[in-house]
Amino acid sequence: MEGLTIDTLRTLARAQGLEPSDEDLAAVLPLVQAGRAMLESLAAIPLGEIEPTSQYRIL
Amino acid sequence: MSDLVWKSMTELARLIASKAASPVEVVQAHLDRIAALDGKLKCYITVLGDSALEAAKAAEAAVMSGNGVGPLHGVPVGLKDLYCTKGVRTTGGSKILGDWVPTEDATVVSRLTAAGAIVLGKLNMHEFAYGPEGLNPHYGTPWNPWDAATHRICGGSSSGSGAAVAAGLCPGALGSDTGGSIRIPSSLCGITGIKPTYGRVSRAGVLPLAWSLDHVGPMCRTAMDCALMLGAMAGYDPRDPTTSVLPAPDYLAALTGQIKGLRIGVLRAFYLESTDPAARALVEAAVKALEGLGASVQDVNLELPKHAAAASYAVISPEAYAYHEGWIKTRPRDYGADVRQRLLVGAFVSGADYLKGQRVRALIRDEVDRALGKLDVLVCATTPMPAPAVGQNEVAIGAETQPVRPNLIRFTRPFNLTGHPAASVPCGFTAAGLPVGLQIIGRPFDEATVLRAADAYQRVTDWHTRRPPAAA
Repeated sequence: MEGLTIDTLRTLARAQGLEPSDEDLAAVLPLVQAGRAMLESLAAIPLGEIEPTSQYRIL
Repeated sequence: MSDLVWKSMTELARLIASKAASPVEVVQAHLDRIAALDGKLKCYITVLGDSALEAAKAAEAAVMSGNGVGPLHGVPVGLKDLYCTKGVRTTGGSKILGDWVPTEDATVVSRLTAAGAIVLGKLNMHEFAYGPEGLNPHYGTPWNPWDAATHRICGGSSSGSGAAVAAGLCPGALGSDTGGSIRIPSSLCGITGIKPTYGRVSRAGVLPLAWSLDHVGPMCRTAMDCALMLGAMAGYDPRDPTTSVLPAPDYLAALTGQIKGLRIGVLRAFYLESTDPAARALVEAAVKALEGLGASVQDVNLELPKHAAAASYAVISPEAYAYHEGWIKTRPRDYGADVRQRLLVGAFVSGADYLKGQRVRALIRDEVDRALGKLDVLVCATTPMPAPAVGQNEVAIGAETQPVRPNLIRFTRPFNLTGHPAASVPCGFTAAGLPVGLQIIGRPFDEATVLRAADAYQRVTDWHTRRPPAAA
């Protein structure tokens, strides 16, 4: 996610009622960036009509 | 030290039922060993010495009076400290729940004790099960017993369970597995563990990490002991709406020692091709051993597990955050930094991302189902490398330097997404004396075949009988 910074992360966190420390935000930022990059890689998968796994093999 | 601590659960049950061993002797032998070794190993958060001895005396009286005994009568077990225990604190390896005392047992705890098992204590773990290393800043990080000199990780999150079983501090234990938390410590500690099919074993009364990925299962020294424990635990539970009504088979009866004609798929791409060469050689040798027992072997290359990390991130992060949201807002400093920061990540995953992860998950599951349509089990290494040292963030896998954390769960988490049963059995040791695990994956609700293959392998190998130096 381009433009994601500690400040934008803090804003997003506060919108959810969180008050993470600067130290935590600094540690979380690369994790979120790596996660965003992984999620973007899923765009290459043709999901077509595939529905989400919402319930398991309940037999 | 008494040899009783090295007996299998199956053997202990037989000795006790035949009055050849006293449950009191068995429990006392394990308590003595805990007292001698656990100061270093840090397997236990809570030892239940008095109640275990009391239960052992009652078990002995029952045997001597000729009363019927259950399949685990008088056999000690350890519980990962995220299983609720009535009247006994259940910490989840956390400070947050450091003084929490549940008012009822988890269903599996009730079932194990109803089968006669005696609870020795509550086992250490990665805080709230959120980490594959098995670290714990509140109760100390368990020491992998296979290296007496260097503090190596046990693997997690069920690190205390792995170390305790390996070191003879209990003959079997409960673990839980959201991304590999039974199989990883089983592999790194040289023991046998199985993550059953999602829905096979009740999660009621088990602290969740991620509801749709959490699995409950046994960790023992042998596949036969896993079959014994699983048989006592499995089956429908009205307290857990995701449990299946399919009857659980007799897992012990399934262990025939015969795997002639069993169709085995060896996972190459993504799996063995990304495994440390020394570990890979041991896995290849294990496959040869299975082939020598009459199994047919063919290579399998799955395309979609490479997306498991992304799908897993999309699912586990928000599920874990959702469970912890209240505490992370009100008591953030009571978490260890590692887990607090991982939990915070879940606040930044959108609903759309979560559902995209669930859609990819459906694809991954279908691909594994298709592979198992023509095969009985799939095999690969459980982890790409043996146990790293505590604090080690990178590891050499072949010629490449890789980060430890994502590689620990690389081979296991796809099967949390898919829900297939998967076991880890020890298949050898590296030159440094560290154990390597073989992962065996089966069809949904076919734990019996997975255990049959594991047991047949253990009948012709002795890796599972080795004893770690730190437990000598």
